[in-house]
Amino acid sequence: MHDLLLGIGFGLVTAAVLAISTVALSLQFSVTNFPNFAHGEMMTVGAYASLTTYRATHNAVLACAASIVAGALLGALINKVVIAPFRRRNTAGLTLFVLTIGISLILQNGVLWRYGGQTLRLPIEGGAPHHIGGFLLTTEQIAIIGGAAVIMLGVHVILKYTLFGKAQRAVAESPTLAEASGISSGRIINRTWFLTGGLAGLAGFVLALTTGALTPGMGFSFLLIVFAAAILGGIGQPYGAMAGAIAVGVAMEVSAIYIKSDYKTVVAFAILIVALLFRPQGLVPAKRLAAA
Amino acid sequence: MSENSLLAVSELTVGYGGAPIVRAVSLSIDAGQLNCVVGPNGAGKSTALKAIAGALRPTAGSIVFDGTDVTKLSTNERVARGLGYVPQVANIFATLTVMENLHIGAYGKRSGMKDRIESVCTIFPDLKLALGRPAGTLSGGQRSMLALSRSLMADPKLLLLDEPTAGLAPKLEDQVWKHILAIQSRGIGVLVVEQNTRRALTNSDAAYVMVNGKVAAEGSGVDLLQRQDLVEMYLGG
Repeated sequence: MHDLLLGIGFGLVTAAVLAISTVALSLQFSVTNFPNFAHGEMMTVGAYASLTTYRATHNAVLACAASIVAGALLGALINKVVIAPFRRRNTAGLTLFVLTIGISLILQNGVLWRYGGQTLRLPIEGGAPHHIGGFLLTTEQIAIIGGAAVIMLGVHVILKYTLFGKAQRAVAESPTLAEASGISSGRIINRTWFLTGGLAGLAGFVLALTTGALTPGMGFSFLLIVFAAAILGGIGQPYGAMAGAIAVGVAMEVSAIYIKSDYKTVVAFAILIVALLFRPQGLVPAKRLAAA
Repeated sequence: MSENSLLAVSELTVGYGGAPIVRAVSLSIDAGQLNCVVGPNGAGKSTALKAIAGALRPTAGSIVFDGTDVTKLSTNERVARGLGYVPQVANIFATLTVMENLHIGAYGKRSGMKDRIESVCTIFPDLKLALGRPAGTLSGGQRSMLALSRSLMADPKLLLLDEPTAGLAPKLEDQVWKHILAIQSRGIGVLVVEQNTRRALTNSDAAYVMVNGKVAAEGSGVDLLQRQDLVEMYLGG
């Protein structure tokens, strides 16, 4: 029982990292209608930006801020320079998806060129361990879980209560009608890339904190799990992404108690396959989510 | 075409994938007028309206609205200048609530939003009772009213309506037309593409009959109704 609680505790930390990343991926998908394969590299760039900043300042808060800024600017840049010109020519979603695969490779090799292929360490201490109920969590892990919860709440507030969030949902449903309602769908999409890029960058920082290691392929490896959580939640559904992230994150860490931790990713995809067999629409159906 | 036209469309040519559907169409509407475009199916009425709204890019011709050439402006820029557009289908955000649809309608004109919601609710009292409902759960008639309300939220000078009564029962058609006339009585111009020719012509200040992508006849609605040849050939009796 003790091991199980520890596993759930670690699972909540993984779920928190996963939730930030998955919500960003899902939100971007819902507004633009294609998945961003370079999402993992946006995490990687965020993580390396935080490392560079931490090395220069030894300030964890600034390192965190740097990851967000780097991710947000990268997201907006990718959209402005690559995606938007193709979108204006009514390029198919599949083509845009393939474009992001190219961007992913360019970014990964860019990081490799700049930082080298060796594993680097983000030397931020995790803080003292605390017993909370049956869980044993460090200060850093508590901050990650709390931070992720605040971000999920923030995304909910944006989508539900702000005009920008409503415009995002309107563009997600019909860009043409959104235009006829006076909304510049291009501007909303660009702001969405900025927002989701910032979240991806932050997720990269948090991933580097929890694993303690940075490699040029870190975001790419994590992206597979992010996709599993996003699809499990109902692809393009930010609220489903939250549910999917919790389910996948907790299951992966709890499984590590009973089987070799190398198989954690296999567990994530096994859950995805079994869950979709019984609930092909994902945990949260599209209609309810969009209506949020 | 008068010099003071609110909307002046000249020699508009537009189509899909390079093939012109609408060829050299000219039409106009003065402020506060109700004009209609009628004609048989496939005449290019909705295509012309889409181009005027900015949803399709014309290959030739010009569109001047309120003294400004808007031919190259996007749909949302035209809405901001007071040119509202209600498409025939998918004209509400089904996953948003009625209230959220109204908020979206006021996206470019946020000041006085509350007053405008009150104002559209006086024209469409049924909507007031459904503000919190997802728009996808509304009936056909209510959806039409919401689509009109959403476009009114942007405080338009002219509304382009693409077959606003399509698919509605006759009783609901009456209701929608009552609302269109109520909108016009507030000084808002209306250019409507309508399948119910007789009703559209009866209520219009000026009308255009489109056939095969061209304007085959124009005049006052009442005058066109008197022309038996047009009525029999193109307007379905």
